[in-house]
Amino acid sequence: MTRTTLTIAALALGLGFTVHAGAAQPADPHAAHRPTPAPPQVAAARELPRPPDKLPGWLTNTKKNHIFYKRGKYNFDVYNIGPLARDLNAVAVGHALAYEDLVTGKAAGLETKTFDRINRVLKNPPKFMPDEAAISPTFVRRYGVLEQVFDWTHILHAQTVDVLASSQLTEAEKDREIERLWNYYFESVPYAVTPLPLNMDHLYSLAYSQKFRNTYPKVNGLFWGYHWLQGAMYDMLYRASPEDQKAAYAVLGEQYRKTELYRTDRPFMPMFGEVSPVFAARFPHIANAFDNLHMLHDMVNDILATEWMTRKQKEEQIKLAVWMVSAAAHRGEKPGQESADRLHDHRHFVGMPGMGMMKGMTPELMWMPEMGWMSMADCHHCSMPLWEGADAWRNPTVTADGWSMRVRCPLCARDMAVETKGRALLRIPTEDPNRVVVVISDEQGNLRTSTPGVVFLENEGSHAGCDEWSRAFTSQAAFDAYVKAHPSLTKAKALTFDEWAQREGAKPDTYTKPKGPVENPYQPHGEHGNGK
Amino acid sequence: MASNRRLGTARKLLYTLAPVALLLAAAPARAVDHNNIDAHRPLSFDDAEALAFREQALEFGLNLGWPRRRSLGGALEAEYLYGFALNSHLSLGFEPSLGGRAGETSTGFDFGDVSLGLLHNFNREHGNTPAFSLRGDLFAPTGRDSKGVAFRLRGIASKQAGRYGRVHLNVDLNGNPGGARAERPFTPGLVIGYSRPLGYPTKFTTTGLAELSVRAGEERGTGAVLGVGLGIRKQVGFRSVLDLGIQSDLAGWNDAARDRVRLVAGYSYGF
Repeated sequence: MTRTTLTIAALALGLGFTVHAGAAQPADPHAAHRPTPAPPQVAAARELPRPPDKLPGWLTNTKKNHIFYKRGKYNFDVYNIGPLARDLNAVAVGHALAYEDLVTGKAAGLETKTFDRINRVLKNPPKFMPDEAAISPTFVRRYGVLEQVFDWTHILHAQTVDVLASSQLTEAEKDREIERLWNYYFESVPYAVTPLPLNMDHLYSLAYSQKFRNTYPKVNGLFWGYHWLQGAMYDMLYRASPEDQKAAYAVLGEQYRKTELYRTDRPFMPMFGEVSPVFAARFPHIANAFDNLHMLHDMVNDILATEWMTRKQKEEQIKLAVWMVSAAAHRGEKPGQESADRLHDHRHFVGMPGMGMMKGMTPELMWMPEMGWMSMADCHHCSMPLWEGADAWRNPTVTADGWSMRVRCPLCARDMAVETKGRALLRIPTEDPNRVVVVISDEQGNLRTSTPGVVFLENEGSHAGCDEWSRAFTSQAAFDAYVKAHPSLTKAKALTFDEWAQREGAKPDTYTKPKGPVENPYQPHGEHGNGK
Repeated sequence: MASNRRLGTARKLLYTLAPVALLLAAAPARAVDHNNIDAHRPLSFDDAEALAFREQALEFGLNLGWPRRRSLGGALEAEYLYGFALNSHLSLGFEPSLGGRAGETSTGFDFGDVSLGLLHNFNREHGNTPAFSLRGDLFAPTGRDSKGVAFRLRGIASKQAGRYGRVHLNVDLNGNPGGARAERPFTPGLVIGYSRPLGYPTKFTTTGLAELSVRAGEERGTGAVLGVGLGIRKQVGFRSVLDLGIQSDLAGWNDAARDRVRLVAGYSYGF
């Protein structure tokens, strides 16, 4: 027994040494390799956001607090679309590798070694979702509460996609389950991200803002590429059949892997309303929460990349960033509310409740690179008002070259796709709210669909009435019933898909190009706030 | 004669374990993460992580042991875990065995003791503070010749060691105050475990494990037993993990009962 006790004691002492040697590193073992810190006056010149007098206790919790995801037969159904599942698995690795290198003194290699390592994973995505915490142990050890927020919201992301990819749930069941998922997410923890639209211009104009993008454009491009995919996949999946989802991801996935991941020219992160406008209009609270989560990613990236902040300041600012996007910070506030305090400005674009205000824009006018100014309440092809409210599902969309636009009728969708270079995805609702015809346009503008029996009405006239004379139907019977109910269309003939695909409408007589206050609100010279 | 008996035992073992192996092969392909480590899957240490709140898991294992001066023996390990509260989980387990067992002369079938355990995680790892947990298990005397309710208290600390590795310290106090006269009522033990994901940053499905353990002999008058183990956990489904391990009691003092070698294979499924 004595010998046993002695042996145990010796091993315990040995372990104490091992743990110490393995973990009790200096606060920053690479401090000696860091660039010389900015002189104090530079730091003093930048005013960091100040935390409120009292922050809630959960912001400093040291518990694990891991909650299991909501049970459901749809879990992991994202694997019905294998390439999408694997691309999303790689996204998790990409985030984690970059964060770990940022906090372990390897930031200097971010654009080279780290980028190459991440890129290798993106090109050879993992079969299963990896544990991000195991890939970025130092980051998680230092910013555990942030990791809780990321992790919990990523679970909502993953489960929402599982529901949309489910082949067992009806479309109505999917809508209901998505709301249940939201409630489970929102009510289970105190650190849910706010569902309110936030003023993105404000959150991206802080003392540390844009540091990451300007210093590490390639890795920032990857982050924004991930966020593009995480947004764009929602409209691709929504209301589409399993076969259409797979076919659509062949197009969208290629766009992601070849182009979106490597873009370094974006002025701002991709927003949900820009890449999945149908989902964002239908579930604005979820779209806002995901945009706010992605903004939190950007804020954290910028804080970690800022060399003039001390480690303590970084920890405080990350804590504050979590607070700023949390539901707790905006309790009692409502979407659409305007406030002199820009943190509490919850205005959104007219016609798009799932998108907060952006730099230099007004609720009436939104700007996108290469697309210019537009109204999110109007068709982007004919300028007539989009379907709204309970009828918003009737808006077709066109996805091409990284953007998604809502239009008013199938003709507008088809002609807009033809006018666009490269491949395009069209989502065309039918008379049945649960049936969307997915049309894929190739490089030459040739259209194809896997939906059999679909017929079209196209009795072209002024676009003031295109919502009536251009429609898609799941069957001839549905077409006949519609025409019968609309006497002005009695002479209209049903078009097969091939007949419809060969047509081209006249330039819409109603089109007007909206003009914004400036050419480009992101242009380097000139400050263009958003009215606040 | 002795070899015939050994053959008979091996055959019985095969008959007992074959249906279990079929059950495992038919299990759905979903389970826990390969980075989370529970005792016996496949080595003897726990990490300090509790199951997620509301998570459930089933863990099965087969082990084949070759005790000193005994015939070959095998055991089935089965455990159900439930995250009943934040940072806490319950476990219910049993371990029927057949054939030779270290410290026992009988080689017949033994249902083994049924265990009920609770693990609570006090904190995650943060700054330089390790994650700390406490685990307590009660063992009902349902096994052959088993007497009195035994218990084990285990303190667990887990901490990052190196870039991706983690060290896990398990300090045990085993007790069986109502046990047989020849047995010690209390025995201490200690396990130092190490886990590290293998294949980073290109592969993300496998964790390697190693352990060094020391425990007091269970019989009065016997000395300590020093053991080592190596293992691997591999993710084979969204929520399922296979594990393989090999353990050996390298040294035992004063005739302490020990296994020459133990092979472990297991499967975990989280839901």
